[in-house]
Amino acid sequence: MSIIDLLIGAAIALVCGLDRTAILQVMISRPIVAAPLVAWLLGEPLIGLQIGMMVELLWLARLPVGAAIPPDDTQVAIASSVLAVNLGRALGSPGLEMVMLCLLVAIPLGKIGQYFDHFSRQCNVWLLTRTEACLDGGHFLRAELQHLRGICNFSLAALGTYAVIVIGGFFLVPILWPLVHQALQHSSSWLQLALPLVGVAVILGTVNVSRALTLFCASFGMAFLLMWLV
Amino acid sequence: MALLTRTRIHVWFRLLFLQGSWNFERLQGLGFFFAMLPALKKLYPREQLAKVAKEYTGYFNTHPYLAPLVAGVVLKMEEERAVKQNQNAEIDEFKEMVAAPYAAIGDALFWGGLRPLAAGISLFFAAKGLLWAPLVFLLLYNIVPLTFRVSGFVRGYRQGIHSVEFFQRRRLPDWAIHTKEAAVVVLGGLSAFLVFQHLQREELVSWIGLLTLLPMILLGLLARKGVSTLLLTLISSIVIILLSLFWADVTHLIAI
Repeated sequence: MSIIDLLIGAAIALVCGLDRTAILQVMISRPIVAAPLVAWLLGEPLIGLQIGMMVELLWLARLPVGAAIPPDDTQVAIASSVLAVNLGRALGSPGLEMVMLCLLVAIPLGKIGQYFDHFSRQCNVWLLTRTEACLDGGHFLRAELQHLRGICNFSLAALGTYAVIVIGGFFLVPILWPLVHQALQHSSSWLQLALPLVGVAVILGTVNVSRALTLFCASFGMAFLLMWLV
Repeated sequence: MALLTRTRIHVWFRLLFLQGSWNFERLQGLGFFFAMLPALKKLYPREQLAKVAKEYTGYFNTHPYLAPLVAGVVLKMEEERAVKQNQNAEIDEFKEMVAAPYAAIGDALFWGGLRPLAAGISLFFAAKGLLWAPLVFLLLYNIVPLTFRVSGFVRGYRQGIHSVEFFQRRRLPDWAIHTKEAAVVVLGGLSAFLVFQHLQREELVSWIGLLTLLPMILLGLLARKGVSTLLLTLISSIVIILLSLFWADVTHLIAI
């Protein structure tokens, strides 16, 4: 386990966590971008690509509409990449099984991200009264700074989620590894297929399109037959 | 008094930080105030500025990619207001009138349609192990939002309140539905590709891949009933692990 790796992960978690809601929203926060990016910086880009691919579609159907806060798939992808790269080296098993275990541990922990995000948005309510007080006093620069304090709150939420998943992973994965190693040897490639398909199924079930099932089945059947017969 | 291009660019850049202080009480209100302040500083004397600026800290919520369109119009209206010394009722009315519909259109078009579409296409590249799949996603996804962010702001400022009519003529709700349909088709193709690729790797017969549709439809129905993605993921993972162990035992026995 390397402190530098953890810090690189934290830096990416911070930047991508802010892109998620607070600034830019150019989608570097999506798992398909964030996970390969952090894994590339740690020297194992393919691990990040595998993780990004499995997480990308999982919560894509949960839209950040109004006050709704989806689970933090950004931090799940980043933290599980950091865990997979580091624990793979530490435990001497850098294969798909380790990637799957890290991911399966990180996914439930990602739920905590929702609470951190919720808390940061709650903290931002206090900034409103401070801003109004600054404006009443004619302190415009201080009023502007309140908005930037909101960005700090979002930063802390992102880092908090990353820390919880990474710390939880570093405790749980070495304990679980000897217990589930053999089971994962038989199932990891099937799990790698299943996670994106679960995401697609959830999108299919929740998308607001009248002919979604027909379009999906037609497209699936046509593509599959083409690949099979050609 | 017309605002300088430099000031307008300053406002546009600040709109990229619109949701920085998102909160449950006034949502993007503080962010909109933060974005508009450089323009307000140019338009109003210091003694009037506090009162005008405070009006901007109220409730505001729209889609972040369409906020520049609203901001462009509001800048135009503020210029007129500063000259005529009007009340701000018109500006508030305009914000209220367009913010919610723009939010609904933006959510459906960008979050609900374009994002799954771009993700679906880029995952084809990721499934082939190509490391530039993230770049494909970023490129595919960002072209449309960036166009909306830039052209919306420019058009909003140039046309003022009439930009709403231009926006209506573009029939964006229809585009949102078409984009979602395209996303469903791409995701269907992607699922078939992933299943076929996996069966070939495992050296299994191809036709069983068509059976994948059954569990997928079942999972989709469960998701529609409100079962959480986390629960579906965990249940699917446990079932796969148990089935794999069972299958491994069966093949071991057959080999003996």
